[in-house]
Amino acid sequence: MITRPTPSRRLLLQLLVAAQVLYVLGVAAAGYATTAYGQHIWLATSPVELHQLQYGDFVRLRYVAATVPLAAWHAGGTPQRRQGVYVLFAPGADSLATVAGVYASEPRPAAGQAVLRGFVQEVYNNSLELRYNLERYYVPGDSPLRRAKTGPPLRVRVSIAPWGQARIERVRALGK
Amino acid sequence: MSRKFLETDSPAWVAEGLITEAQREALLARYPPEAVQAVGLLPLLGSILVGLSALSVLAANWQNLPAGLRLGLLVGSIVAAYAGGEYFVRRGNRSVGHGLLALGLVFFGAGIILTSQLYQLVGYDVSGLLAWVVAGVLLSFLYESPTLTLLPIVIGAAVQTYCTQALGSFSYATAGLVVLGCGGRWWRRPDALVGTVLALGLLWQAGLWVLVSHSKITWFFVPAMLVYAAGDWHPNARGGRALQGPPLVAAYLFALGLALFGETDQYAGLLRPPVWAYLGALGAVLAASVAGKRARGRLATLPDWLLLLPGFYLPGGLALAVATLVVLYAHAGSVLARAHRAGDAEQLTLGTVLFVVATMVAYFKLTWVFLDKSLFFLIGGVLLLSLSWYLRRRNAQRLAAALGSNKQ
Repeated sequence: MITRPTPSRRLLLQLLVAAQVLYVLGVAAAGYATTAYGQHIWLATSPVELHQLQYGDFVRLRYVAATVPLAAWHAGGTPQRRQGVYVLFAPGADSLATVAGVYASEPRPAAGQAVLRGFVQEVYNNSLELRYNLERYYVPGDSPLRRAKTGPPLRVRVSIAPWGQARIERVRALGK
Repeated sequence: MSRKFLETDSPAWVAEGLITEAQREALLARYPPEAVQAVGLLPLLGSILVGLSALSVLAANWQNLPAGLRLGLLVGSIVAAYAGGEYFVRRGNRSVGHGLLALGLVFFGAGIILTSQLYQLVGYDVSGLLAWVVAGVLLSFLYESPTLTLLPIVIGAAVQTYCTQALGSFSYATAGLVVLGCGGRWWRRPDALVGTVLALGLLWQAGLWVLVSHSKITWFFVPAMLVYAAGDWHPNARGGRALQGPPLVAAYLFALGLALFGETDQYAGLLRPPVWAYLGALGAVLAASVAGKRARGRLATLPDWLLLLPGFYLPGGLALAVATLVVLYAHAGSVLARAHRAGDAEQLTLGTVLFVVATMVAYFKLTWVFLDKSLFFLIGGVLLLSLSWYLRRRNAQRLAAALGSNKQ
């Protein structure tokens, strides 16, 4: 059976496909815009299980800011696992950002401070384990990380867009 | 009828004088050999292989391609798949056309995910993937295809899984889109398979909701029975029943679990939500379901709700196990009675199986402690044998009676 194409259906499909293409391009634009208009902070980290690079192009990063003392919890109630939180960063030594507080709702950052979204991974007696969804890092082909044997300390430059998205901009060895 | 069957059996028909040789040839001519169709599949298989090779080359070198080229490839494949799909649909080759359109939708999702990955971009809500569900729902309304109706249900379940697991929150927008979009699509054109998958997808999301909100698992049955009640309101009885299958299976498994493990108060304690809130919510759903059954004249299926009796509020222990068993028996009996009235052989088998399961649970539950082990197995075996003999006889009698009354 041949379905007669109603002109309206073809037009609707064209509109739908155009919207999808624009959307994908929009995601890419958000990537550029996050760098261009976003706030930039350096976070200290180190890669774990570097030997994973033999099998793929990704390493897992463990941020120093992933472990936060429970004293930094500035919200009512007790933190719940998998809860979404706002982490306030303040500039620290060596221009690395350090956690100033963990909030359940978005705090108002002072000058020089930045807010990054995160999730409670685990709650311990006097500390919190956080996840920033920035833990998976694609290692470019020419990165010195590919020749490293043990996980060296790194500094990661993170851009945070005013609308809340974040991206890893670049990664460098700590102390350079 | 298959040609092969005709070829092998028809000479005997001629020999027995059922048909003449000329009639046999006319019949054979009606069903031409299908060799041509198999050959027609070869180009399709060939193009799939070529496509796979291109895909593997791309996947191996993906990370080394410049960003612009990667973006171009993603966008290009989306457009190409949709254009090809519409081309084939217009040519009348609907299965290939709908397959390509579905591929376009999958490419769109892959495009969103891979582009975010390309820029190491992290979003903290599900809005990025929500567009995927929206596109799927809209596409399913444009074409008359089960594939394209099923896809957004599956995508919705996947997006919800990602949202609850990675982002730690339940996306009501995704659930709403599947309910209104896919549900609305199904409501207008009920299809048994789509109905079952839709119910499964919604139950999956309901389960994730319970998980994320740290509620007692019994709350799961409020949304699950809402799906069931929707089936009651559907004008098409068969379509409605397809939607009700998964919630019923879930409720039955839950009742079975309660009969098996309900004795320990610890398990029953995990199930007890605040009495009035839970009973109020479930009662409201029950009222909606009963109203639907009455409006569509399907009050005979009301005993389905027996499975939802909140027996877990009883103090744990033997009382709870026995009460649940009574409910299981009553439910199996109601299925058997309904099947008997309707003369439905399939439902009769189902009712029999439910009855045997209830008997086995009852037996294991109640006699394991009291009986000597060899006696336990002996009595159990005899019980099942006599039960199967009795049920078989009843079924045969009922079906014979039903056939007899149909003939008159």
